[in-house]
Parts: sequence; structure tokens; C-alpha cells
Amino acid sequence: MGEVESQKDTQIDLGNLMAYNPNHHFASIPSSREELVKECLEKGTELAQALADALFNLPATEDVDGPIVKLPPPTTKLPRQKHLPKPKPPTKWELFAQKKGIKKRKKDKIAYDEKSGTWKRTYGYDRANDEDDVPIIEAKPSDEPGVDPFAKRRADKKQRVDKQEKNRLRNLKQTAKAGALPRDYLCFQGETESNSLDSHVQLAATALPITGSQAAPKKLSKSELEEVAGTAATSTASIGKFDKKLPGEKPPKNKGKNRKFLPVAEGRGMGSQEKEQTDKILNKLISKHSHETLNVDKAVRKINVQKEKKHKSKQDKSSSTSSKLKPKKKSLKKSSNKGSAKKGSSKSKSKLKSSKSN
Amino acid sequence: MRTLDEQETTVVFEKLYKFVGNNLKNIVENPSHEGPDPNPGRYCFRLQKNRVYYVSESLVKRATNVSREKLVSLGIQVGKFTHHGNFHLTVHALSLLAPNAKHKVWLKPTSEMSFLYGNPVLKAHLGRITEDINSGDGIVVYSMSDVPLGFGIATKSTKDCRKSDPNSMVVIHQADIGEGFMIDDGFVEFGTSVYV
Repeated sequence: MGEVESQKDTQIDLGNLMAYNPNHHFASIPSSREELVKECLEKGTELAQALADALFNLPATEDVDGPIVKLPPPTTKLPRQKHLPKPKPPTKWELFAQKKGIKKRKKDKIAYDEKSGTWKRTYGYDRANDEDDVPIIEAKPSDEPGVDPFAKRRADKKQRVDKQEKNRLRNLKQTAKAGALPRDYLCFQGETESNSLDSHVQLAATALPITGSQAAPKKLSKSELEEVAGTAATSTASIGKFDKKLPGEKPPKNKGKNRKFLPVAEGRGMGSQEKEQTDKILNKLISKHSHETLNVDKAVRKINVQKEKKHKSKQDKSSSTSSKLKPKKKSLKKSSNKGSAKKGSSKSKSKLKSSKSN
Repeated sequence: MRTLDEQETTVVFEKLYKFVGNNLKNIVENPSHEGPDPNPGRYCFRLQKNRVYYVSESLVKRATNVSREKLVSLGIQVGKFTHHGNFHLTVHALSLLAPNAKHKVWLKPTSEMSFLYGNPVLKAHLGRITEDINSGDGIVVYSMSDVPLGFGIATKSTKDCRKSDPNSMVVIHQADIGEGFMIDDGFVEFGTSVYV
């Protein structure tokens, strides 16, 4: 019986996947906490079962992962997490327009450009009837001499833009003062949460010196932090010498330029620090260039010269001993000359050759 | 006057190494017989007003009696540190470089004057050239009678030099003994007179 009754009272909101019983009363208030928990769990199980039943009654489509149902829109209205935004105070122009009864009108996006005879946008680059684009300005009798009308036109435009920016910032400040801007919009207390709002508007808002509010502190970069930390660490009476180091604290990076040099003239009893230093650098330099000491070109040249010399000396010997390897020319000569004279001449010739090669 | 720190020494040595190669050891470990001390001292490098000097230790000791502002020069000037921290050799270093030079170039007598007026050495000027020069090496320039005239930087290797045309540059001029006459900036700039 109890089950049927509870099912009647159960209300189910499938959109929020929620089931509850607003009319539930405990028959008798349970005496101990354990019993209460037990009863609550029981009730919760019932509600969950009711929700599951309702879910499986919905028309489902089969999928690889199982049946899929489309939930109906939620019926229960949940309270919002944050309060409603305050209405923005009207800007100065809005106040003026209200007073004068000026109503907002929609402007056309495109207009007919008479100069080119085409339709163009009314704003931005290449707009219709752009007065900045007029190449010739006619002189008027009211013109002051010595004033460049083109420069004046440019200056006027800049002035108008600046004025509008000033107005915008003033309105923004007014809005912020009224508290109509979202809290994280202004980045109070150094919060730099990113939000969906236009970043430059946000920047403009934080740049403002809002009276009665804390100015947004700038976020320090890593190097700036290190610099500040180093300055702080060396700002004690002992220049940080006797301070307790925190675990993992590194020595300050921005140490002063307190350079120390080796003594100009070393005394008799002193070690030769300077000699050590120069020797260290010298050895480093020589070892750095040590791969250059082996000059392949030079080595090849040396070997070639040696080989040539050997070859020449061999030829020398052969010319003096065996007559088989001699070129034909010489053999021709041989026939013309006497034996004793021939030997000497060939020797001297080969000698000359070798000296040339040297 | 002060000693060079580690970085400065490296810069100076690297520059000298370009010219003298491993002979740099001879320069650094050269014993000096100056002064009254019977034991031979050494030569060392000292910095004074951005200029680096090659001085014997006994002279350094005596020079400490002169205040920094008043000390104009001592020993042999090797070069100077620019404001940016680079090191430039000056003419006076020639007396150090010439006996230890690794790469040499001899000029024809006709082209000596051109070099002494500060012009680069062209291929047509070359009388002789040592082997195995690479571009970028430091080169000491001699006259044909083996008088050191100055030094510079090779733009071509010896091999390329043979092929190149006679008007091409071989050595970029850095300093020469004619400088003293032209700059005329007191005796410190006067190349040959500060020979110790």
C-alpha cells in the first residue's frame, strides 16, 4: 500500500533527471540517527527507481552503446547561482536623448556614393561620401590664411575620436561606480580571470583610477619577481650574508658588479695565480684548435715529395747500372758516343732533374 | 693598471692565436731578464686605460709606483679593448707577432709603399707567401728583405690565391708601421718607437 501511495506522490522532472516527493512525512520520527539514514536511503532508492522507470518508458533509439533517449525540457525552475545583474546607469547621451525626446533610428548600412556612382558602405574604408577622400577643398572667404585645410580636417577627425574615447571611458567609470559591471570584469584583488568580455574594454576599465576602489595590481613577470626577491634578500644590515636561507632558495641573481682582479704585482711569497690562469686559458685554446694541427694537405705534399725523391734516386741507380730501362733516345746517343763519356753525361742529367724537383 | 680577467685574457689570446698559432706559448712563457733580479722573470699582460700591454714582471712592479691617471704607457702595447668589449691589435704588437708569425706574406719592393699607406695587399703585390693559409687567418706582412711591415687578415687561402686574378685582394690591412706618421697622435701611437 505504502509503495502505491509513494508512487502517486512522486514527481519526476526528466529534463533535470530529478525525482522528489513533496508530500512525504515520516510515519514516526526515527529515534536514532542510523535509522534515519537507513530510512532516507530507502526513500532515495524508491525515487531513483521511479526515475529509472520513467526513463525507460521514453521512446528510445538503439545505438552501439545501448538505447538512447531524448530528454524533455526541464520543468523545474532552479534558482540562479549569481544574483541578477544590476541595470546599467544611462550614459550621458542617453540622458540627453531622453530629455530631448530623441529616438534611436536604424541607419542604412549602405548608401549611394555620388562620386563613383555606386552603392557603398556608410562606414570604414572606401565608404560612401567619404569627406576625408576629397582631394580638393575650395577656399572660402572666411578661411584664415596660413591654415592647412587638409591638416585641419585630419586634426578635427582625431579630436572627435579622442572625445568619443573620453566619453566612453567616463561612462564605463560611471557604470563601474554603480556596481553594474561584473565583479571579475574589474579584476579586483588582482584577479585576472579571463572572461568573455571585450578585453580592451576590460583593460580600459582596470586602467581607470576608480575613486574608493583598489587599483588593480600589475602581475609581475618571472624576471621582475626574481629581481625584487634579489633586492629584498640583500636589503638587510648584513646585505643578506647572515640570513637563513629557505630550502631550495637560489642565490640572488642580480648581484652587484663587485669585480675582483688578481693582484697587479705578485709578491715573493705568493703563488702564481696569474700564471695558472693564463696557462689554463692557453691550454684550453690550444686543445680547442688541436684538430687543426694535423694538416692533411701538408702531409700529403710531404709524402709525395718523398716518393718522388725515392723514385728519382732509383732511376739514378738504374741509369748507372742497367741499360735495359733506359729510354730509346739515350740508346741512340749511346751509339754516337763513346762508353766512358756516356756514363758521366747521363749521371749529370739525372742529378739536374732531381735538383729541379727540389 | 690591472690584470686581465679570465674573459679578457681569452679574447686577447684568441686574437693573438690567429697570427701566431701554437707559438703563443713562446710569447706567454717568454722569460725576461729585465730588472735587478738575478732570476729571470716572466712577461705578462696588463690592462691600462682599455689598452693591453705586454710587460715584464719587474717593470710592472716598478710601474705600480705611478698612479693610474699619470701612467701613459708601459712595455709593449699589444692592442686595445673597444667600448663594446672587442679586442683590436695595434701596430706595436708587430714586434711580438713578427718573430712568432705562422702565416707570412712578402711584398715586392714596388708595392711596399702602397701597403704602408694603408691599402690592402693585392695578388700582384705578392713576392712570396707561406703555404696552408686559410681565409680569415692572421698574416704578418714582410718586405722582400724580411723587414716586418704590418699585419692583416687573409681573404683567400694559398690555393685560391694562385688561381685568382692579379687585382684581387689577398690580405686586408689592419696595421702597418707607416701608421705612426699618418695618425700623428703622440708617441704612443708611433709604431716603431715603443719597441722594447
